[in-house]
Amino acid sequence: MKALAIAATDLRRLLRWRANIFFLFLLPMLIILLLGASFGVDSARIGIVGDRGGVLARQLSAELAAGRATDLRRYGAVPDLERAVARNRVDAGLVLPADYDARLRDGRTVTLRYFGRPDSFAQQLRATVQSAVADQNRLVAAARALARARHVPFDAALARARAVAATVAPVRVVLTGPDGSPFTGGSGRFDRGASTQLLLFIFLSSLTGAAWLLETRRLGIARRILSTPTSTRTFLAGQVLARLAVALLQALIIVAGSLLFFGVDWGDPLGTAVVVVAFCLVGTGAAVLLGSVFSSEQQIVAVALLLGLGFAALGGSMAPLEIFPRTARTIAHVTPHAWANDAFSKLIGHGGTLATVLPQVGALLGFAAVALTLAVWRLRRTLTAG
Amino acid sequence: MRAALLIAGKDVRQRLRDRSALLLAIVLPLVLASIFGLIFHDVVGGHVSFAFGLVDRDRGTAARAFEAQALRPLERSGLVVVHREASVASARRGIEQDRLSAAFVLPPGLTAAVRQGRPVELRVLGNVDAQIGSQVARSIARTFGGRIDAQRLTAALLGTARGAVPAEPIAIEDVSTTSRQLDAATYYAAGMAVFFLFFTVQFGITSILAERRGGTLARLLVAPVHHASVFAGKLLTSLALGIASMTVLALATHFLLGAHWGNPVGVAILIVTGVVAVTALTALIATLARTAEQAEAWQTIAAIVLGMLGGAFFPVAQAGGLLAALSLATPQAWFLRGIQNLAGGAGPSAALGPAAAMLLFAAAAGSVVFVRSGRLVAP
Repeated sequence: MKALAIAATDLRRLLRWRANIFFLFLLPMLIILLLGASFGVDSARIGIVGDRGGVLARQLSAELAAGRATDLRRYGAVPDLERAVARNRVDAGLVLPADYDARLRDGRTVTLRYFGRPDSFAQQLRATVQSAVADQNRLVAAARALARARHVPFDAALARARAVAATVAPVRVVLTGPDGSPFTGGSGRFDRGASTQLLLFIFLSSLTGAAWLLETRRLGIARRILSTPTSTRTFLAGQVLARLAVALLQALIIVAGSLLFFGVDWGDPLGTAVVVVAFCLVGTGAAVLLGSVFSSEQQIVAVALLLGLGFAALGGSMAPLEIFPRTARTIAHVTPHAWANDAFSKLIGHGGTLATVLPQVGALLGFAAVALTLAVWRLRRTLTAG
Repeated sequence: MRAALLIAGKDVRQRLRDRSALLLAIVLPLVLASIFGLIFHDVVGGHVSFAFGLVDRDRGTAARAFEAQALRPLERSGLVVVHREASVASARRGIEQDRLSAAFVLPPGLTAAVRQGRPVELRVLGNVDAQIGSQVARSIARTFGGRIDAQRLTAALLGTARGAVPAEPIAIEDVSTTSRQLDAATYYAAGMAVFFLFFTVQFGITSILAERRGGTLARLLVAPVHHASVFAGKLLTSLALGIASMTVLALATHFLLGAHWGNPVGVAILIVTGVVAVTALTALIATLARTAEQAEAWQTIAAIVLGMLGGAFFPVAQAGGLLAALSLATPQAWFLRGIQNLAGGAGPSAALGPAAAMLLFAAAAGSVVFVRSGRLVAP
């Protein structure tokens, strides 16, 4: 097939340039490594200041540290803790005042300061902190009431309260899925991070490859091919095939690498494969369109970065779609990334199959079709206009 | 010196006429920063609102207490919108259709169980696609549960049937949204600015290679112009464009998007040292490349790799260990650190550490560049 021959030549030209080998193979592997190391952390980390003050303070922090999925770190001063949260070394911070024990014994109130990043790990930690605080609250409140009523010293009342607390069952709060099954939340950052970053990288990488089509035009190769009995559509099919092959290979490296080295869950294999192929088609279509429309490399790089990063941000590949306000989430669906992220969400989070994501796949194929049609039209005009 | 300034002036004028320079240096980062501002604005400003369902199968005083104490204050403050659902099935449908972030299920006989001191279980149905909302709902239920616990323990301790609701000795104040250090919009604005800096400074230094290909470099060297002046002129172009672009971005994102860059003097220090560092790195790549295309390719690679490692796209610092250490080998990471230090309201001295680190980069790269500059500025 002629398109295949065009694609093969294109690929051979591509691979002759060593910088491209970096982009094609090494960069995806680097990304997996970075993602795995950045997101493969399983537990929620909380920083604490002021827990060495007294017995009660130490007990509170001990209860926090005892949590299975919680990693407690101590900091000496509040600015250090704030910096740690800002730098993402911990997900949230809790500040206990220095006179924690004294205030509780005196019958005064204590206010703990809590701050966290706007993500689900911080909220999870908030629930953990509330549980630990609620526990101490009921002991201290009951002890105070007893001390006041029976005129016993606080410590004795506290000991009594602790003894009785063991016999009074606390209220249980159970978070489940909508059908009562265990709630699959916080299943490791990486599962969400991997799919969103895959989309960012594939799209950006495809777009920056648009410069290659420009070179083909500039060197006159395109015109020479079209002077033979080859239709513009066949020529473009060749270009698309070449780029699609590259994009699919990059996607395969990222998916397989993250699966093998970091055990990332990609959901149903068939569903994921179809979504990935559809998205690669969109990236390819957009790249070919870019290469047909613009005439300078600077312009292509600029527009590639704008669309590649802009769409990724708007489409939920940098900050998760979940934290988007309602209107922004609707606007996000102008980008192919939002649809692909939705599809991955269904496949990975809900254990869906190909059938569940057919609407999203349809949307992605729609994007690809539009891009390719425009590219054909534009290329024909550019190359035949002279 | 005059020759260097003339060359720089001509280059800057040429670049301003070339629209792609303006696009890369100002328009692009601004557009991206606006997008991030749009996304993060509501979250950082504390305007997030969750839709929760409430299934009341108890219809007793405990359920009413839950609504009054746990939900109504949050409804008034706009954090929560409560939809009363007729049944668990309709709540489940609401979650599956993504209308609700979570739903509270108050079991039948809740009031009686609380009164008689029997075990109580509050169920929260969560939405897998609304992780944050689900956790917030769990928090709300947990807080309410805590009050019942305190009440029951006090009653048990004093031997009374029903204790008065004791005041809570320990309160938690969530100051996340007021902490400037967590302003994601500013972080991403700075991240995009420093990422695009790599492309902006290319217009100066890398143009030497383009002029070599175009033949104008040979003509320049035939004139009574020392090759050092040509080099200095190109460097000046990079510095001028870089500083101008970063300044415009800082001002634009501050006034248009409400990004808080911090103390102006500190920001100025960071911008200047950052531009110097990135220019030196770009020049280093230019001296090592043989053709303009090769230089541009390697510079794009460097921009992306250093940008990723430096944390412009996703937080690398949380990886800890080797990766966090590696990220400090990029000027991007130091620039962002400087911005974070200043964002907390610190004075310009907070920028000095990162500025020194970036100057170190500039010195290291610059020394290699000066050794090879003769080879670069040659026909």
